[in-house]
Amino acid sequence: MSLEVYYGLPEQIKYCTRCVVSNQRPSSTVEFKNVSKEKKETIGFDENGVCSACLYSDMKENEIDWEQREEELHQLCNEYRSKQGNYDSIVPVSGGKDSSFTAHILKHRFGMHPLTVTWAPHIYTDIGFKNLQSFIHSGFDNNLFTPDGETHRKLTQQAFLNLVHPFQPFIIGQRNIAPRFSTLHGIPLIFYGENQAEYGNNIEDNFKPTMDTKFYSEMKRDYENLRLGGVSISDLETNHGLNLDNLTPYLPVDVTKMEQTGTTVHYLGYYLKWDPQELYYYASENTGFSANDQRTEGSYSKYSSIDDRIDPLHYYTTLTKFGIGRATYDAAQEIRNHKITREEGVALVKKYDAEFPSRYFNEILEYLDITEDQFTKTIDNARSPHLWKQENGEWVLRKPVWET
Amino acid sequence: MIFRIIPKLEVKSSNLVKGVRMDGIRVLGKPGEFAKHYYEQGADELIYMDVVASLYGRNSLLDVVSESAKHIFIPLTVGGGIRSIEDIRKALQAGADKVSINTAALRNPDFITEAANHYGSSTIVVSIEAMKKDDGSWEAYTDNGREPMGKNVLDWALEAEIKGAGEILITAIDRDGTGNGFDYDLVRQINKKLKIPVLISGGGGKKENVSEVLEDNSLSGIVLSSLLHYNYLKVKQLQNNQKETLFSRYSNAKNANVENCSLIELKKFLSDQGISVRLLNEME
Repeated sequence: MSLEVYYGLPEQIKYCTRCVVSNQRPSSTVEFKNVSKEKKETIGFDENGVCSACLYSDMKENEIDWEQREEELHQLCNEYRSKQGNYDSIVPVSGGKDSSFTAHILKHRFGMHPLTVTWAPHIYTDIGFKNLQSFIHSGFDNNLFTPDGETHRKLTQQAFLNLVHPFQPFIIGQRNIAPRFSTLHGIPLIFYGENQAEYGNNIEDNFKPTMDTKFYSEMKRDYENLRLGGVSISDLETNHGLNLDNLTPYLPVDVTKMEQTGTTVHYLGYYLKWDPQELYYYASENTGFSANDQRTEGSYSKYSSIDDRIDPLHYYTTLTKFGIGRATYDAAQEIRNHKITREEGVALVKKYDAEFPSRYFNEILEYLDITEDQFTKTIDNARSPHLWKQENGEWVLRKPVWET
Repeated sequence: MIFRIIPKLEVKSSNLVKGVRMDGIRVLGKPGEFAKHYYEQGADELIYMDVVASLYGRNSLLDVVSESAKHIFIPLTVGGGIRSIEDIRKALQAGADKVSINTAALRNPDFITEAANHYGSSTIVVSIEAMKKDDGSWEAYTDNGREPMGKNVLDWALEAEIKGAGEILITAIDRDGTGNGFDYDLVRQINKKLKIPVLISGGGGKKENVSEVLEDNSLSGIVLSSLLHYNYLKVKQLQNNQKETLFSRYSNAKNANVENCSLIELKKFLSDQGISVRLLNEME
């Protein structure tokens, strides 16, 4: 008997033999084309059942010559560094540990003069806002960009209802903002932190220092194929009271303008070996970063992705769609970086992964302007039958990592 | 009275670990080796804390403790995952002199009384993880600074004393691993309330942090980890001529809040300040 499978996920659920991620993990998508229940590319596993993120982690450990890579970074910076002290690079920051590290090390070790830009969270947490302030006070110019709240809420609502992906408009905005500021201010060099491929996109992507332009730009504006929150532009105009003026921050950056500026987007994680926990130490010591005052719902950690009240909902939706929640992401990464063992990771996933994001739940409903009933229906409709079953009125995973 | 200087060894599986604000737990080495070093340097006591005991619902620390107890002859306190009289018995049998209790005591304060009746108050340390709130009060936490329990720390410390705790070990979560100095305000307020000895932990980043807090207060002792651990790591690194790692290069020494200071240097410094501590040569 075969069960229905959503999103084109692999029918047989397998877990990596080294970490806790499953073969259901989707790769990064070109978000402004994302439509409901589109087929996902998923993480690769080798013949020994090891996921591509763990395989890349081995390469980080054993194959990549990090001194050589650091030298490449010196060369790159030498090429772009300003002599007069004007901005020579753009670093998108949240005030979190990774982006704070990126900006700080570029300034202090590589002598750059970064302008930092921030795409605001949906609803700041107190600790998130404090951390951004601490970061700024540790010596950085920052441009906080907050999108039109009404538009952003509408898009977030549609992204939740249509794609069960409430973070989509945020991801689009965050990917676009640095290239857009690059063209606005004529600053060509952009540094993001690590490549998402480290967590399991196509492994080859890790060997390119630059971000694929498809994620933030288009040759010509092709509004016909554009989707925000899974909705076409004309539909947004007709049925949701939005027009192109409202949507500017979400539209792909114009390639012609980027060519004029010479915009190039680099991953710092290509040049410097990325270890999130060590970046937490670095940011604590250097940019006044503080962990949260309690663990994040759905996980055990207190130091990553803590600036947005909507954040735990994001991971709750990935749990719903792919069976992969926040604790799985956190534990998989920490196992790869030798911070915890697989046994410990499995125990953490079992304990925290399916935890409901109740702390800000009412605020989330209010933000999305939906009822609890709508929320529950949307979530339950997104549960792929091959992943979930109901047991005594509760949704449970058919094949959780602790039962394999 | 003599102030006690007590290194704290946080243990996860078989490793000595240290976090910042109780998160981002870094593996530093083997606890037995650090314990021996601190013993030789004149530590007054040692605290072993299993930081993942609540995750597994078990206590995996006892092997480490019983190994240490064979050649370390100062009081050992063992904490993390102590939930029953049987757990206490096993810890004492493994060589612990005292046990520290957090979660089990918060869930059932009468457990303190029961434990004290069995083994005597002086064996029972109540450990409190204190998080400073915006209104200036402190809230008690469990699970290595992860779960708020809704209980006011000062009230809870007093309740623990009344229930029969022999000692209170209080850790300021928001100071832990930062080297930003101890929470003087917390120390002062808790001392006003309690008659039993109080040990403070969290924030000790340099010698002066320790002397300041001891001058002001009638504390019984100071608990240190990062300050001593990182010093010992550096000593070891020099001895072994170890290659620096990428991140030991990046960690910006001028901004790092924890200075390099050994236990011997610390005690000498405190003694020079007129603070009464047990010096190494006095015990030989």
